[in-house]
Amino acid sequence: MEVMEKRPNIYLPQIARIIDVRDETPDTKTFVFRLRDDAAHAAFAWRPGQFVELSVFGLGEAPFGFASSPTRKGSFEITIRAVGALTRALHAMGAGAEVGIRGPLGNSFPYDEVQGRDILFIAGGIGLPPLRALIHNMFDERPKFGNITILYGARTPTDLVYKAELKEWASRQDIKFMVTVDRSEPGWEGNVGMVPTLFPKAGIKPEGTVSYMCGPPVMIRFVIQDLVSMGFADEDIISTLERHMKCGVGKCNHCCIGHKYVCRDGPVFSYKQMKGLLE
Amino acid sequence: MSRALRLDKGRLREWVAALQKSATVIAPVPLHGADVAFQPIKSADEITLEYDNPQDSPKRFLFPQSEDLLRYHRNGGYQVEPTYDEEKRVIFGIRCCDVSAIRFFDLTLGVEDLPDAYYARRRANTGLVAFACNAPCKECFCVCANTGPSLPSGGGYDIQLTDLGGAYLLVEVDTPKGEELVAAAPQLFSPASADDLAQRDALDQAAEKRFPRDPRLYFSASSRKVSVDAVEEELWRRMAQWCVTCGGCTNICPTCYCFNVTDAQMNGAGVRTRRWDSCQFPGLTREASGHNPRPEQLHRLRRRIFHKISYQYVARDGMQGCVGCGRCVRVCPGIRLGIPEVGEAIRRAEWK
Repeated sequence: MEVMEKRPNIYLPQIARIIDVRDETPDTKTFVFRLRDDAAHAAFAWRPGQFVELSVFGLGEAPFGFASSPTRKGSFEITIRAVGALTRALHAMGAGAEVGIRGPLGNSFPYDEVQGRDILFIAGGIGLPPLRALIHNMFDERPKFGNITILYGARTPTDLVYKAELKEWASRQDIKFMVTVDRSEPGWEGNVGMVPTLFPKAGIKPEGTVSYMCGPPVMIRFVIQDLVSMGFADEDIISTLERHMKCGVGKCNHCCIGHKYVCRDGPVFSYKQMKGLLE
Repeated sequence: MSRALRLDKGRLREWVAALQKSATVIAPVPLHGADVAFQPIKSADEITLEYDNPQDSPKRFLFPQSEDLLRYHRNGGYQVEPTYDEEKRVIFGIRCCDVSAIRFFDLTLGVEDLPDAYYARRRANTGLVAFACNAPCKECFCVCANTGPSLPSGGGYDIQLTDLGGAYLLVEVDTPKGEELVAAAPQLFSPASADDLAQRDALDQAAEKRFPRDPRLYFSASSRKVSVDAVEEELWRRMAQWCVTCGGCTNICPTCYCFNVTDAQMNGAGVRTRRWDSCQFPGLTREASGHNPRPEQLHRLRRRIFHKISYQYVARDGMQGCVGCGRCVRVCPGIRLGIPEVGEAIRRAEWK
């Protein structure tokens, strides 16, 4: 017990400053953060898939996944849709404002163990940001991986995040990138339909491929079924699970699924692991 | 490291008074009427040693219903300071089921790799003087949970007292902290005899026999069914119809520790506070989008029982989450959703 007292307090946030804000969609912005203390920032090391508990002082904390790669160290990015009181308050903040950060928290996407393999990303809506952290990481170490395919779907063209960046991805020769929208809008000349409608066009080969997906629960359910019927092994279907995470460290019991804590045992789970969850 | 002493009952007050010099003593105190509650005492005269285990367990002295985690203010930028409770306490007369519940907290909230600094500090500053039961309370089933009526060495107490029936208390000292508590008034204690220990074992066996012969709970059967998802959803639904979502079962449960955290702020200064939450409330799992992975009360009842008795949690936490204190039996206004009743319904696969 005496030893325990010397450990850091897991509920104590560090202070971070917003250094830039970019509009993504009418309700979604990307925030660029840097820890106020330079030494703390230099020591701040995260892996794609991990998240932070972000404090807006006076309103509390909410969990958000990293949207940027640890290979780009000067700052970190989080893309946030305004849905509740805390996120709306955050959207009203600009460069220079301070927030609290606890993290990095949670596990991360398999990375070292998938080197040399083909990679398939499937993102739905606001699910692209956490995958973008991994996508950037793999771009920055591109020779370590085989073919990379990115499939992204959103409700409408307006709801696509990182629009400028998506154009750059589309022009890259070393990846395959396809995007679709559920409902078209004037001026949209691309694919229309749910994400799975891209599968036949993308020429997916399950052998040797590991798939990462992030999106709304309904999308995850359907995509998992599709991948299983295509022949993907359960352990090669990787997703993040979403729950109301409060403490972020497996204490408060908000995010449990069966005996697993999404915040501490996840948020990244393989389909094989998900099948073992009772609830 | 157990060592056995004896203490004259007539001099118990002198010992408690000596403990009060360096710590707040929490002890069972009679209230108006027949109730007894664990309270900080001013005088050793307030203590009773004739009590059924109070409906409020002593968990709130280690994990308060509401506690501040940190304060912050703006001075240029934000400054954040943790708020720690450094008070030294002795919980005197805690029953063995509740000692076991604190051991459960040590294994979960206080785990070594990610300790909860607030719990860990209070725990390090709190001595546990247990009082073994010589008779069961009406609803308890510690014999079924292996948490009583007395505990072996290593059970989590610093000192365990047993009323030997005559003029003496047996005093088993089990930890360095327990030795410190004895050292507050060492002249009061003398070595226990072999007869004292034999007497204790006899009392313990007699107490075990006084539990109902047919305890309504068989953890082995209900735990197995809960762990392999072999309970029909319809059974959960029928049981959950008796739940009024009061959260009483989780509030009085000595092993429940769900919590929520909120901020309050004025003029750029604020406080972050945590309060007990409950898996029986829909808000525990409701997400910002409005989606709720446990939308109905049957899911929340299933959750509570799964966390208490599933093999998965026993394996994860190192012990079962139900210590058999029986409080949920007494508190449930639907009368029927205590762990024994639910366990029995699961075992029989029927709900009458």
